Amino acid sequence: VVFSADEASNIIKECVDSIIGGIDYNHSKINQWTAAVVEQSLMHLVKMGKPFKYIVTCAIMQKSGAGLHTASSCYWDSSTDGSCTVRWENRTMYCVISVFAVSIML
Amino acid sequence: MSDIAKDKAARLLKKTGSFSSLSSYDVKVKENMRKQKDSSMSTVSYMDDPGHHDDLPRPAQQMENTYQLNPTKYFPGATVNNILKDVLASYLQEEKYEPELCRQMTKTISEVIKARIKDLMIPRYKIIVLIHIGQLNEQSIRIGSRCLWNSSTDTFSSFSFCNRSLFAVANVFAVYFE
Repeated sequence: VVFSADEASNIIKECVDSIIGGIDYNHSKINQWTAAVVEQSLMHLVKMGKPFKYIVTCAIMQKSGAGLHTASSCYWDSSTDGSCTVRWENRTMYCVISVFAVSIML
Repeated sequence: MSDIAKDKAARLLKKTGSFSSLSSYDVKVKENMRKQKDSSMSTVSYMDDPGHHDDLPRPAQQMENTYQLNPTKYFPGATVNNILKDVLASYLQEEKYEPELCRQMTKTISEVIKARIKDLMIPRYKIIVLIHIGQLNEQSIRIGSRCLWNSSTDTFSSFSFCNRSLFAVANVFAVYFE
């Protein structure tokens, strides 16, 4: 079974839109937003029922003119494992979500 | 956009043996943001080289039972933490934030960390290294992650570093492959 980055990215986009869709950055709520985005995405990924272990990371940053760089390096079996990253933004914040899926089958 | 060029470059750099993803994302301010209030944009990048999945499917492997329930050697969280501290400090101690420099730096640092963890020779563990480097600009950022795995064998390690003009966060996830 191979990881499908397309499906995963659709799921994540929906999750993010539903949680922080039209909202402006709010420092007191940022905690629960990151937690909600990550937990919802993980839940939906698991519902796909595929034999994978998942790692979901979300970075939410306020728009203030600063730059942000993200890189990842993975040591795994590239024929079965995969990753997918979604960059999302609205008027006041950026959100970068990475999903790594590691297969648990030979 | 430049994503396509980056993907092409990543494909060209494919090595046999271990496959490394060399993508980095930078987030720049849009100069003329006159969009409507509720507009949001999302872009997707694939770090995977799609070519891999088109290779001939492997024949199902028959493995003998090892009767081994747990890993012989567990992932050393403390050692890895020291590695992260070491690498981030040595690469970023005196650096000032610059877009081009940091773009290269994220890719380099993630490769270096992965190589040093591989040198620890911990069998049967798959490694994922994630680096964020950003400018310090009176803004706030929150990075969170959740994992669905076997918490008795799988673990993570994390370290954050900052100097005058930039911050860096390194996350390492280790997943046991039974």
